[in-house]
Amino acid sequence: MLLFILKRLFISIPVIFILATLTFCIMRVTPGGPFDKDKAIPPEIKANIEAKYHLDKPPFINTPAFHEKKWINILTETQYFYYMKGLARGDLGPSYKYLGRSVTDIIRDSLPVSVELGFYAALLAFLLGVPLGILAAYKHNTWIDNAAMFTAISGITLPSFLVAALLIYIFSIKMGWLPAGLWDGGWEYKVLPTIALGLRPVAIIARLMRTSMLDVIKADYVRTARAKGLNEVWVILKHVVKNSLIPVITISGPLIAGIITGSFVIEHVFAIPGIAKHFILAVTNRDYTLIMGVTLVYAVLLIIANILVDVFYALVDPRIKLS
Amino acid sequence: MNEVTQKKSNSRSSSPASSLWQDAWKRLFKNKAAVISLFYIIGIILVAIFADVLAPFSYEVQSPENRLAFPNTTYWMGTDILGRDLFSRVIYGTRMSMSVGIIIAFCSLIVGTIYGSLSGYAGGQLDNILMRVVDILYTFPSLLLIILIRVIFGPGLFGIFLALTIVEWVSVSRIVRGQILQVKEMAYVEAARAVGVKHQIIIARHILPNILGPIIVTLTFEIPAAILSESFLSFIGLGLQPPFSSWGSLANDGFQAFKSYPYLIFFPGMAIFLTVLAFNLLGDGLRDALDPKLKNT
Amino acid sequence: MKKISTLLGLVLISLPLFLSCSSRFKLTNDTLYFNLGTEPPSLDPSKATDTTSNLVIENIMDSLTDYDISTADLKIVPKVAKSWRITKGGKVYTFTLRNDILWTDGKKVTAHDFEYSWRRLIDPATAAEYAYFLFDVKNAKAFNEGKIKDFSKVGIKALDDHTFQITLEKPVSYFLHVSTFSSLSPLRKDVIDQWGDRWTEPEHIVTEGPFKLVQWKHDYQLTLERNENYYDAKGKLKKVECFMIVEQSTALSLYQTRKLDIIIQVPPLDIPKLKQTPEFHSGNFLSTYYIGINTKKAPLNNPYVRKALASSINRNQITEMLQKGDLPSSSLIPMGMQGYNPELGYKLNVAQAQEWMKKAGYEKKESNPTWVHSKTKEPFPTLTFMYNTNEAHKTIAEDLQAQWKKNLGVSMVIDNQEWKVYNNSLQSSHKSPETASFHLFRLGWNADYPDPDNFMSLFTSYSDNNHTHWGNSKFDSLTEKAKVILDYSKRVDLYNKAQKILLEEDTAIIPLYVYAHQSMWRDEVKGIQMNPLDRWYFDQIWLERNIK
Repeated sequence: MLLFILKRLFISIPVIFILATLTFCIMRVTPGGPFDKDKAIPPEIKANIEAKYHLDKPPFINTPAFHEKKWINILTETQYFYYMKGLARGDLGPSYKYLGRSVTDIIRDSLPVSVELGFYAALLAFLLGVPLGILAAYKHNTWIDNAAMFTAISGITLPSFLVAALLIYIFSIKMGWLPAGLWDGGWEYKVLPTIALGLRPVAIIARLMRTSMLDVIKADYVRTARAKGLNEVWVILKHVVKNSLIPVITISGPLIAGIITGSFVIEHVFAIPGIAKHFILAVTNRDYTLIMGVTLVYAVLLIIANILVDVFYALVDPRIKLS
Repeated sequence: MNEVTQKKSNSRSSSPASSLWQDAWKRLFKNKAAVISLFYIIGIILVAIFADVLAPFSYEVQSPENRLAFPNTTYWMGTDILGRDLFSRVIYGTRMSMSVGIIIAFCSLIVGTIYGSLSGYAGGQLDNILMRVVDILYTFPSLLLIILIRVIFGPGLFGIFLALTIVEWVSVSRIVRGQILQVKEMAYVEAARAVGVKHQIIIARHILPNILGPIIVTLTFEIPAAILSESFLSFIGLGLQPPFSSWGSLANDGFQAFKSYPYLIFFPGMAIFLTVLAFNLLGDGLRDALDPKLKNT
Repeated sequence: MKKISTLLGLVLISLPLFLSCSSRFKLTNDTLYFNLGTEPPSLDPSKATDTTSNLVIENIMDSLTDYDISTADLKIVPKVAKSWRITKGGKVYTFTLRNDILWTDGKKVTAHDFEYSWRRLIDPATAAEYAYFLFDVKNAKAFNEGKIKDFSKVGIKALDDHTFQITLEKPVSYFLHVSTFSSLSPLRKDVIDQWGDRWTEPEHIVTEGPFKLVQWKHDYQLTLERNENYYDAKGKLKKVECFMIVEQSTALSLYQTRKLDIIIQVPPLDIPKLKQTPEFHSGNFLSTYYIGINTKKAPLNNPYVRKALASSINRNQITEMLQKGDLPSSSLIPMGMQGYNPELGYKLNVAQAQEWMKKAGYEKKESNPTWVHSKTKEPFPTLTFMYNTNEAHKTIAEDLQAQWKKNLGVSMVIDNQEWKVYNNSLQSSHKSPETASFHLFRLGWNADYPDPDNFMSLFTSYSDNNHTHWGNSKFDSLTEKAKVILDYSKRVDLYNKAQKILLEEDTAIIPLYVYAHQSMWRDEVKGIQMNPLDRWYFDQIWLERNIK
């Protein structure tokens, strides 16, 4: 098991390296830099700023070094090399927008919030999505099935800013039950964002659960169990639900990573200090180091989630061996 | 127990393709929700095509004296901040949103299918490498790419098509690869290979027809996904160029004022909701219809 | 199945239990809830360049002097400096500091803290963007460029603990404004040396203003507490909770549910409704929204075409549509500032605009509604208007598009660009303006300080902020002359002449309006003074809540 995890982590290193390189390239060819704004900065001040943040070096290839025949400097005296060198030491660099804060600071402050919100949303997704899917499959082709699936699909069909607007309008403004935003410790701040964020995964899981259960219900071993006269609820729970959960677990890795990082709209509308907003704002601010930082965080989250899924797989189904 | 995750049947190969499709049609037409959705979608496509005929006003003509009018007999859905008829803008928005949805879904389907088939059919190291590429693209900050593409190709529709296709095809390729992996192991494919049939022929004759069903289902889910992605782009201000409108851009304009002018978000929001719903219901119906395993349930 | 349903049931049953425990928002007269709008990018005075950061810095740090926002002409009044002398024909400024001002850690504020802070701003190692504020000071620019290493040659000196002296290269009329800047608040060298970049975190920061920073949850909220060591009259508020709610409609909802006391931005479309309540407040501030013209790109290289465009805009229609209370204005210098002249600049005059077009060499046939060049017979091209993605800019662009079509018969396409790309397009157009992709663009300018030079010097031929690619040596020399003259009426006269060149003779820009800012607060919030600089001083505010 440990060997498997280590092996998977080892394979991830080149993936992360290529991802970092690619992101760096695209980032640097996109016009506009972190210190560009409508107010012009005098050139001498611009030179000071660029020197301070190593932006005075060429991004990838140092052509002056080529002419000076300093062959090694062609690649080492570049922004890319400086960044990768820092990265290898685990240094994600300073933010170019939030002066005085490092990228590590920003991630450390914001990631736990998104993980917490993501946890609630994922919990909602499983607690609601799985039973909904079971119910729909068990009562296949009845009105219950249709109603459950209609509810589930509704969750996928609305853009999240619409859902958020609707929830705020009903529960905060009209009813006055829950706050329209903020993230202030109390549970009441967490209800609306959790629903707004969790609705989509609820729908995805419910549909997947239903499809997978319909497959399993007709499997031979289920028929055998039923024929043996075992208690119906027992059959459903022990044989059907357990086996139908496997595809749900498969997608839950990327799903959870997606929930944590993909909640920009929810965090924006509810004023939640999470990490997802940095995926958008870092790009629009051209906060180079932060763009790199959050992209790498997402990649690592995804890798960990996928490894956990595989490990969990093996635990649920002893027939699967980790190789 | 990997088959559990692989829900597509192997009985398909035994029955002639034509009767399979006929059966599927029959089953689809028994599904009321899917049929209604199908007609709704056809209707929406007609609206998109005949937008010029249907819209009572132009999408860009402003009448400043009628700004922010609530829905009334002249302006069925009210007017926006510039005094433009919302009903007409939703109608024209249908054209934009549907072309965005359909074109992007088709493009990502084509790219995703080719890539996924290659990866799945080849297997081994090539598959491994191709899938790592997909992993990288999946994590890549797509917003950067979208901004860059807009800079290179200008603010037109093409930029949006290209940007969203690049973002969307990745998930299609994963689905297609998964399908190929199953079909590849089927006895008849093995047999064809053993006899020495060319790879292109195996893919074209034996594999693609067998995964056509799932691909069509994927298409019905990709269209609404593209419509939603476009609305997200509008939300962060990277959507269509004014004065054109899409449902997403209209809903986003309305979001800014959902307290004072709820109708500005309601109508485009409903348009998105109903259309995405219809595609999903149709997709579900198609999946059930194309999956012979469910025949007897 | 059973397990899951029991679990679900438990969750559902336990939900109402939580309902009883409630929030920390306990309304008292001690604490004010305020929405900052965004995370302040930096609370380091030398590095902050944005309004949000400055709003906070102005409340926790005092500079040499300050504006009295209760006076119409924004008089400069003593703060840390109790008096100052201007000698040598306006070249030397000598500030005498109070000796009773304490830092939050109890140490005394001295002139050396100012010397350190002013030096730090121009130190190339700080890489401060606003270093150019001090470029009028003797040798400051050379020091910033690294050409002079010896700071004693720079005209910034603490003569003793209470005397701070500045020597300028040449007299400039607006220099006293510089002494109000929060960027030039005194700083503690020992604190910054000890903590480096992190010195602005609440556990390290040492300040000397009416409030102090006690908590900073990044991207969410920061808490200011009254500085009990403060030398001046203490404010009545004990605490100010500043939130960073970006989405304006969320901030409004929270305001309406009494979670916020003051919001300083309002969703534009909600304004007509909110305007009817006494809680809505709006005022103009020293700023101008203008359309810039790429004067090198055909056909706008012809001044008559530019005049025609300027004469075909109904500014009232634009401001009414935006509904924010912006003041239509054809003058670059905004209302409330010396030199503002509403008479200058072209107003809507459709007949005159047609004349300008004919003078520019275009003709229009009855049968054909488009302009055609009378010699080359080429039709008037479609213009391109570029703006950065934003609802208000979009509305303005769409309206201009419609107005020019209707009033002048000129078509225009609009091109919105993401903010950074937009700035890049403006900057890079300097290389070859003739082939730039745009004819027209929008920009706005907020006063750094209430002096017209801040606006007029934007459009000198050597200004980096001048993206019109227009230059006029007469305009340049008028502006330079006005810069050093202290006589009020002479200055106004020079600015009138300069503005006439910029707005009428050459029409390089078309000002549209003076921005208005909107805020909401309830009657229980007292002491707020709306002002054209959009400053918020929490020590002047108090609460009279109706607490049961």
